[in-house]
Amino acid sequence: MEFHKLSALEIAEGVKKGSWTASEVLSAHLDRIKKFDGQINSVVTLSEESAYSDARETDNAVSEGRDPGPLAGVPFLVKDNFCTDGIRTTCCSKMLSDWIPDYDATAVKRMKDAGAVLMGKTNMDEFAMGSTTESSIFGPTLNPRDFNRVPGGSSGGSAAAVAAGFCPIALGSDTGGSVRQPSAFCGVQGMKPSYGQISRYGIVAYASSLDQVGPITRNIADMAAVLGVLAGPDPNDTTCDAYERPSFSETASAGIKGKKIAVLTGYDAESMDSPLIEAIEKAVEYCRSAGAEIVEAKLPITMKHAVACYYMVALGDASSKLACFDGMRYGHHSDGRSLVEMYKRSRNQGFGKEVRKRILIGTCILTRGYYENYYVPATKVRQMIADEYAELFKGVDSLICPISPALPYKKGLVEEDPVRMYLGDAFSSIANLAGLPSISLNIGFTEEGLPTNVQLMGPRFGDAGLLALAHAIENKAGSPPIADIEKKGGCRE
Amino acid sequence: MKRRSVIGLEIHLQLKTKTKLFCSCSSDYIGATPNTNICPVCLAVPGTLPILNDHAVELGVKIGLGLHCSISDNTRFHRKHYFYADLPKAYQITQYEHPIAVGGYVDIFADGKEKRVRVHHLHLEEDAGKLVHPTSDGRLTGASYSLVDYNRGGMPLSEIVSEPDMNSAEEAIAYITQIRQLARYLEVSDGEMESGSLRVDVNVSLSNPDGSLGTRVEIKNVNSLRSIERALEYEIARQNKVLDEGGHLVQETRLWDDVAGVTRSMRSKEGERDYRYYVEMDLAPISAGPEYVQKIRESLPEMPWEKRERFISEYSLSLEESLQLTEQKEAADYFEACVSEGAPAAKCANWMRMEVQRILRDLGIGINEFPVPASELGKLIIKVEKRELSNTQAKDVLAVMVEKKASLKEAVGLCGISDGRITGHALEEVIRKIFASEPEAVETIKSGNDKKGAKVKFLQGLVMRETRGSADPAEVASLVNSMLG
Repeated sequence: MEFHKLSALEIAEGVKKGSWTASEVLSAHLDRIKKFDGQINSVVTLSEESAYSDARETDNAVSEGRDPGPLAGVPFLVKDNFCTDGIRTTCCSKMLSDWIPDYDATAVKRMKDAGAVLMGKTNMDEFAMGSTTESSIFGPTLNPRDFNRVPGGSSGGSAAAVAAGFCPIALGSDTGGSVRQPSAFCGVQGMKPSYGQISRYGIVAYASSLDQVGPITRNIADMAAVLGVLAGPDPNDTTCDAYERPSFSETASAGIKGKKIAVLTGYDAESMDSPLIEAIEKAVEYCRSAGAEIVEAKLPITMKHAVACYYMVALGDASSKLACFDGMRYGHHSDGRSLVEMYKRSRNQGFGKEVRKRILIGTCILTRGYYENYYVPATKVRQMIADEYAELFKGVDSLICPISPALPYKKGLVEEDPVRMYLGDAFSSIANLAGLPSISLNIGFTEEGLPTNVQLMGPRFGDAGLLALAHAIENKAGSPPIADIEKKGGCRE
Repeated sequence: MKRRSVIGLEIHLQLKTKTKLFCSCSSDYIGATPNTNICPVCLAVPGTLPILNDHAVELGVKIGLGLHCSISDNTRFHRKHYFYADLPKAYQITQYEHPIAVGGYVDIFADGKEKRVRVHHLHLEEDAGKLVHPTSDGRLTGASYSLVDYNRGGMPLSEIVSEPDMNSAEEAIAYITQIRQLARYLEVSDGEMESGSLRVDVNVSLSNPDGSLGTRVEIKNVNSLRSIERALEYEIARQNKVLDEGGHLVQETRLWDDVAGVTRSMRSKEGERDYRYYVEMDLAPISAGPEYVQKIRESLPEMPWEKRERFISEYSLSLEESLQLTEQKEAADYFEACVSEGAPAAKCANWMRMEVQRILRDLGIGINEFPVPASELGKLIIKVEKRELSNTQAKDVLAVMVEKKASLKEAVGLCGISDGRITGHALEEVIRKIFASEPEAVETIKSGNDKKGAKVKFLQGLVMRETRGSADPAEVASLVNSMLG
């Protein structure tokens, strides 16, 4: 049995039926990680002991006739900025390289409570700041579809692991595209739910008003099942909404007949990689054939200002949320002759270059004078963007647009052309600014085997409708296969 | 040339909630072992988020209403950034642009006049931890290391910012006292400067001859009413002197040195920090809507000034008497409980202000710890009214009630004064006691040797003395005779 080829729901069904055990499934996945992760470096910490103990618990539940949960025995990985009880949580930074939390993030806890088995932690850009997963202290992750390319970021480890068949589900965090862009680059499905859909408790923050937990899977049915497990209010996060969630798994297969779907126009399609434009055309065609009505939509304010606005809001917040890392209570500490010297040394040594840069820019943005000229206008523009989308969704059910303007970057671009990397967030950061649900959906591969994709967006808390749309398109486009990393053995440069 | 001093105050009140402002740690931190009253949230452990304590909001609204403020129905928290060891997140969650309560006032009595002091706003914020700099000689400077205790970190505070409406140290003290009284009446804060549940920052300037405001100086480290008074007097004199000598004042923060009795410059405006305030996105906006506010308004107790007026009209007390009796809610309640026993209000007021006050002062206790129930004091006052006790006797009785924690009846007995008449069984007890102390006289009588009845008279006299004249001589005679027979 090739367990790694099964979907999460297939694994859970087999575990519940007794066709196989959670321990067997776990063992197969751990073997695969140990055998092949050397090639792509997607996993930074494995927690085999606790994983086997969790798997045995699920198996016991099954043999004793108890309900093992909807994700019984499904092995999963989480990005290394999710707090995990007793498992090192580093944010792939020297700052937290030896930090072991004593609690599980709410998202991790909910997965475990649903019977899923946590195997370990995945690689990421340091403190989730980046789009290439190259700034990790554990070294870069490579794209399992093409080892010469980056997996995207910042949740590159999670996306690469799902693509490589190391787990059917991985969790990432998405502040401006950090789940969806790597999902697009690695050829898997990634979702950023509405802001307030999933608790942020236990996620080491990047930006409070943008961060959201997002699942990465190889198909939308698994995605809906995971969202069903993760979504819901949490007494530890009051920004997580209390509204009553529908059954995402049920509504995901509702179809899109009669739905009105807008396609974004009015952006510079010329500057985009052409297979991505073709992917949009394909997706539109799939929607039409599934009975949806297609209209065009222009979002001038968003298209003009989103990236600038995003970086103002995100970096301002990052400078604030990362201020707690002073080396006193946890994290990297360096001695000094005074308190200020201790702070300076600890932070300078603990944070990498990109993180220091973003903290500096963010601090500048919030400083008197700049605050009025940059941060305040950015918050106003942010509201205008949200309003532009609210207006759009009065008339249509969903929007189709690009997620990334480019196919997976070659390695090292971040050093060469950082601005191009920042501009790559133009489409993905909108959903975070406006608090909207967004899915990065795979639409097949280019001739060279690079994944192509589209972004689907819907109104706030319209996550269920969005999953239905993704499901309808996936029915036509097919769900992406596991990356062929066995054959690429030895390809790594 | 006489310049007018202009004073504005910032008062921090620690709110009396059960838990801290953003986590479920107990607020009962005083005396706790350092760093035991802490949790991941108030230590800013990565991944944790603040959860607003609704009770703190309620208490903030309460005191805001007490200060006649309007309550904002859309209020948010901000982050105030600075790096210091007492602040784990490196920002304090506070209210900045949208405080919970704005635009109120309090009326104070100072210099024999009533005066209205406007309140600019009231906002909620979290407290910081506490640093300890251990030096061999106990001084603040020269320590080779510092210790930090986060037990206080995250405690809920409400900061009340006045308009610069006070013009003398006396007015400033009256304002603080009035706010403290209000806080205690509303049970929102203990308002104790000694324990730090009430803290004051003072702003003072001298108005220019054209009436415009002069250069403002902020004074910190004033930890008692007395030091506030002294610091203000010192600072007003200092500023006058600088200006008299043709000098210029700089806008700055000065620290009060209580031992030396002077203020010293801490930092000037140029050194003022940029706190990079911006909206705290980890907390949703608070909506204290009209219905919520109305509910709290209806739950408010009688305000001190309302009670003061009522005592004057209902009990015909003087303003001075009423001020004194209503200073503490507990004392006012005690007074009214006394009166409800049927004792005359004027007499109760007198007893409270004189005798009870004196005892409290002597024992160094508050009215809460006064061992005599109000009903008992009421009954005692009634006895005086009925002339069953003289004033002097009543004071003795009260002293015994306090000292022995005795009831009125027991105390009267213990004092050996008659509670009305001593008759019957009680009288027999006294007689038996006298007999026991005079066995020879009893023997003489019983053996028939008291020819002239002198010994019987002697014993009757002793009984009368023992009962301080509160027994009926005829009953004494008859009982003595029958008990001897």
